[in-house]
Amino acid sequence: MNKQSLYALALTGAMLPMAANADCGEVSIAEMDWVSGGINAGVMEFLLTQGYGCDVTIVPSSTTTSIASVAENNEPDVIAELWVNSAPAYNDLADQGRVVKASDAFSEGATEHWLVPSYLVEEHPELATAEGIMNNPELVGGRFHSCPDGWGCRFVNDSLSAAFDMEGNGLEVFHHGSGETMGAAMVAAYENREPHFTYWYGPTSELGSYDWVDVEIGPYDADVHACNQDPECAENGISGFPAAPVVNVVTTDFAEREPEAFDLISNVTFPNEAMASLMAWHSENQATIDEAVVRFLQTEQDVWSNWVTDEAMANLEGLF
Amino acid sequence: MATYDFIFDGLGLRGWCGEKTNATMSMEDLLKARSGETTSLWDTPFPSLDNLHDACPAIAQTRGLTGGLENGFLAVKDSLKVVLDPITQPLSWFLNGALSMFQTVPWWIMIPALLAVVFVASKSWRLVALVASFILFLAFIDHYEHAMQTLAIIFVCSFICVLLGVPIGIAMSRSDGLQRGIIPILDMLQTLPPFVYLIPLIFLFSVTEPKLYGIAIILYAIVPVIRLTNLGIRLVDKDVIEAADAFGMTDRQKLYGVQVPLALPNIMAGVNQTIMMSLAMVVIASLVSAPGLGVLVLRGIRNLELGVGLISGLGIVLLAIILDRVTKAALARVNTSGQ
Repeated sequence: MNKQSLYALALTGAMLPMAANADCGEVSIAEMDWVSGGINAGVMEFLLTQGYGCDVTIVPSSTTTSIASVAENNEPDVIAELWVNSAPAYNDLADQGRVVKASDAFSEGATEHWLVPSYLVEEHPELATAEGIMNNPELVGGRFHSCPDGWGCRFVNDSLSAAFDMEGNGLEVFHHGSGETMGAAMVAAYENREPHFTYWYGPTSELGSYDWVDVEIGPYDADVHACNQDPECAENGISGFPAAPVVNVVTTDFAEREPEAFDLISNVTFPNEAMASLMAWHSENQATIDEAVVRFLQTEQDVWSNWVTDEAMANLEGLF
Repeated sequence: MATYDFIFDGLGLRGWCGEKTNATMSMEDLLKARSGETTSLWDTPFPSLDNLHDACPAIAQTRGLTGGLENGFLAVKDSLKVVLDPITQPLSWFLNGALSMFQTVPWWIMIPALLAVVFVASKSWRLVALVASFILFLAFIDHYEHAMQTLAIIFVCSFICVLLGVPIGIAMSRSDGLQRGIIPILDMLQTLPPFVYLIPLIFLFSVTEPKLYGIAIILYAIVPVIRLTNLGIRLVDKDVIEAADAFGMTDRQKLYGVQVPLALPNIMAGVNQTIMMSLAMVVIASLVSAPGLGVLVLRGIRNLELGVGLISGLGIVLLAIILDRVTKAALARVNTSGQ
C-alpha cells in the first residue's frame, strides 16, 4: 500500500462518523466532458451521497485521461460512461483484473448511424439506403460528413466510404476537426432544411431534438466490421454498425472496498429513450447538467427506484 | 421560500411576478425543499438575476441573458451573412487554391522552389542548408504533406494580414483619434480566447468552408503588424519629417519616400510576429477542420498518443524556426541596406 492510499484511508476514517451510513467511505467518480456523461455521474453522485451516505468526489475528466489515470494510479474509483471503442486500454485492464465492468451505461448500448434528415427522405425515399445515396449524391449535397482524426469511427467510415467508392460516386468525404463542428453542422443544416448526410452517434441531443433517418448501410457482419475498424486491415467490406458498448467501470479495489456502492453502480443503466429525451430537454431549456439530473430523478422515479436498496430508498424518502 | 420574496411582497409586485412556470430545479433547491431550512443571514445569496428569479419569476434568469444574446445573434445572422459571405469568399478561394497548389506540385519541384525563396530572401547559404535539412527531415518521417498544408495556410493568412494590416497601421499613425479607437480592439483580439470568436463564425459560415479557420487565424495574427506599422511610422525622427517638409514634399511623397522606408525594420518585425502567431493558431484552427500538422497534434491529445503528439509538435517547432529565421534574415538585410 502506498503512502497516498494510506492517507486516503486515514481521511476516510476521519469522515466516517459524519456519514449517514457508517459503511460507505470516499468514492471518486470520473465525469466525462459531455452531457450524458455528466448526467450519468451526477445521478450516481446523488444516489451515493443521499442514499448511501458516501463522500463523493467528482473528477472532471475525459475518456483517455480517465482510463490512463486508472492504469497508472488506480484512481478514480469509478469511470462513468466509458465508451469502450474509444478506450482500447480498457480491455487490457479488464483482462489484468484491475477494473471490472459494473453495468452498461445505456440499455441498448450506444448506437452509431449514417443519417439523413427526415424531410429529405420524405421527398426522396430512395435516400433511406446507402445504395440510394450513392446513386443520387447530389440530393444529399454531394458530401459525407465524417469523424475527426482520433475518433474510432474515423477508421470505420474511411473503410466504408472506400467500400462504397464514395469519391467515385461523386460524394466528397469531409473530415471535421472536432465533434462540436460536426454536431453544429447537423443542427444548422436541419434548421435551414438543407440536404445533409452525416455520421453521428447516440444517445445525443442532436438525435433527441431532430428527426433523422437511419440510413441502411447493410447487415452487420462481425468479421467485416472488425476489419473496417482496424486501419491495418485492407480487406474492407460493407457492414452496418453494431451497438457500441458503453460501460460504467469501477476499479477492482473499489468493488471490494465498497460492496454496497458497487451494487448500486451495477444497477445504473439508462434506457436509451429516456437519455435522449432528457438531453433534448437539457438543450431546449438551456438547463445545467445539475438541473438535468434533478429532472431525471423527478420524472423517471420508476427507473431509478429499482437501482437502490430499500434502505437507501428510505434515506431518499421525502425528496420527491 | 426564496430569500428575496420580501422585496416583491413589500413593493406589492407579487401579482406582476406571476406564477413560477419553468421546470428547471437545481440540486440545491431539491435538497433544501426536503430539509425545510431557511437560509441564515450568513448564507444570504447575492441578489443576482438567478436568485431574484427564484423570488419573482417575471425576472429573467441569467441564462435568459445568454439565451437572448444568442437569439439576437441568430436574428441578425441572415442579414449579416448576406454582407459577410461574399466579402470573405475570396479567402476560401485563396486557401483552397494554395492548399491544392502545395499538394499537387511534386516534392522535387516544391522543395527547391522553397529553398530558392529562402535564398532570395536571406542571401545566406547557411540558412538555405538549415531549411533544407529541416524540410528533408519532415519529409523523411512522412510529415511532408501535413507540413505543406500548414505552410500553405500560413502563407495565405500572413499575406492577407500584411495586405490589410499595413494600411490600417499607416492610417492609425496619421490620426490620433483612429489610434485611440483601434487600440482597444487590438487589445481585445489579442486577449479574447480564440474559441470565443470561433463560435459566432461557426454560426455564420458553413463549417466545411476553409474561410472559417482563415478568419480565425487572421483576426488573431493581424495585431502585431498593425501595431508595429503604427509604431514604426510614429517613431520616424521629427527632424527628418521637417527636412522633407522643407523640400516641399507632398504627404504622399513623404509617406512612400520617407516614412515607410524608415519604418521598414519595425514593419518587418511586425510581419515576423504575425507569421509566428498564425503558426500558433494552427492547432486551434484544426478544431474547425483546418488540415495540417494541427490535426496530428489533436489526434495525439485525443488518444494520448504521446509519440504522435511529440513528433507533430516538433514539426510545428521546425516550421516556426524556418519561418522565423528567414523573416529575421530578410529583416537584417533591410536594416543593413537602410544604413
